[in-house]
Amino acid sequence: MTKARTVSSLVLAAILTACAINVVSAQGAPFGVSHAAPVSGLTGWIFAKQAEFYRSLSTFIRASKDDGAAMWGLFAISFLYGAFHAVGPGHGKAVISSYLVANQETWRRGVVLSFVSAGIQSVVAIIVVAIAAVFLGATATAIGLTVHVIEIVSYGLVILIGLRLLYVKGRAFLIACRELTWREAPVATVASGFGGKSFQLLGHRAGAMAMRAGQCQFEGCAGHPHGFHCEHHQDYHESAWSHAHGPEPAELAGAGGWRRGLSAVVAVGLRPCSGAIIVLIFALAQDLFWTGVGATLLMGLGTAMTVAAIATIAVSARQVADRIARTRAGFGMLAMRAIEVGAAAGIVVFGALLLVGYMATEQLWMFTR
Amino acid sequence: MTLTAAWRRTGCAVLMLWLIVGRAEAHPHVWVTFHSELLYAADGSMAAVRHAWTFDDMFSAYALQGMPHAKKGQYTREELAPLAQTNVDSLKEYRYFTFARADGKKLKFSDPVDYWLEYRNPALVLHFTLPLKAPIAAKALQIEVYDPSIFVDFEFAKDRPVSVNGAPQCVATYDLPHQPTPAEQLRLSQLDSAPLDASSTYGETFANKILVKCP
Repeated sequence: MTKARTVSSLVLAAILTACAINVVSAQGAPFGVSHAAPVSGLTGWIFAKQAEFYRSLSTFIRASKDDGAAMWGLFAISFLYGAFHAVGPGHGKAVISSYLVANQETWRRGVVLSFVSAGIQSVVAIIVVAIAAVFLGATATAIGLTVHVIEIVSYGLVILIGLRLLYVKGRAFLIACRELTWREAPVATVASGFGGKSFQLLGHRAGAMAMRAGQCQFEGCAGHPHGFHCEHHQDYHESAWSHAHGPEPAELAGAGGWRRGLSAVVAVGLRPCSGAIIVLIFALAQDLFWTGVGATLLMGLGTAMTVAAIATIAVSARQVADRIARTRAGFGMLAMRAIEVGAAAGIVVFGALLLVGYMATEQLWMFTR
Repeated sequence: MTLTAAWRRTGCAVLMLWLIVGRAEAHPHVWVTFHSELLYAADGSMAAVRHAWTFDDMFSAYALQGMPHAKKGQYTREELAPLAQTNVDSLKEYRYFTFARADGKKLKFSDPVDYWLEYRNPALVLHFTLPLKAPIAAKALQIEVYDPSIFVDFEFAKDRPVSVNGAPQCVATYDLPHQPTPAEQLRLSQLDSAPLDASSTYGETFANKILVKCP
């Protein structure tokens, strides 16, 4: 048991470390850590493809000026571009996935939230271009600035949501921690007691535990360490999955749960994609604003598919972990809480990195600031 | 399935997920086709690089958004003057994406002079001249044009991408880079954080590199 636990904690530590490292390395090592770049063929192919789709967008938009049928080609390419592009930075994959993991969300809700966030993203892009470019005739500088302000608000909200989650989950973790030591001690005490050692040798706290163990015996655990353990096991499950550990699944499924989920996707979705803004303005310049709107919405649909797929993987991973955790009473529980804390911390880190610009790779304002 | 194996499997799943989720690489939203002219002084030293950068049509439309102009579909150099100013101002932060070396030593550029925008429907062309802080006479000169973050994709103009002005004795060649493979693009995007060491020849495989040899 001890060995299994050690291995488990090592694996967990490895996961959390990997997450942390990935956050850092993904930003091109902002903290100055030099590392060999892992080169993935798949990622590279996706990047090449999405660049190809993006470049063909302008051809399709021009073509649809004279030929209505070309519009369908444009929509198809827009959808593909959205799906491939969403693999890159931004688009809330990381934040949404972390949120789902931290909050024990179902995959169905993960999919819905992914679609809502991508939808908001498209609509924000359309609204910004409609108001700024169509009605106000604003310049690229003004639009870039607007997008930048929206980005800052969005990242700020992401950090706030992450901090709130971190507080809730951190507390749950500490409670789980305390409960675990509370449970562990009597077993140890009784075991050592049976081993012929005196209770007095143990500290004050352990003495209290021994008292508890004694009580248990009165309650008919027959003084047998296994019977004793069994009774506690049941008690443990009740407490672990029902109180003091954040919202229950049932509670999450309620209206309040949805509201919380929506606040997260709104925060993420606020930030419009630079590609969508450029496509919309290009379409507007060709007097094809509505075609641009259609293309943007389809890009959003493509993005939603990718984000939903990744969110589903996240939720499944969490569910597998959950199932394992249930079979490993004490430590499994703690591990799940730790994963939640890690995910919540991940949201804060992502938000902070985005805010300070390490991840802002789509500098729409580069030439026009 | 033993518990340890289960944990390991979960670990793998989570790890994979984070690899997908966490990868944050830039992808270009601006494409530039460029021509560079190397300006030599009478004494045979290289004094400046004169760039002409043609932006792709979508970014051109974006940059032109809201620019006041008298005739629909036409922009004069004067009408585009404020935008040209903004362009060169914001390019400073990126060191004009132009990196020069003379006989292996890094060279520094001053602020650009003689800059303007030209509208060649449907594209914007940015003209600017980057003077060297100190003109230099070198046997081998190397100028690279690229964006390490790959937000901007640079590509040599198809016809006559490089020319030399004022030094008939010098020969300019350029490495028409093969289309960088995705793997090279990834590496390229990490140059800032994981610079190549001095002995590395990696850069030669992909950069938009201009080489000038003088006797």
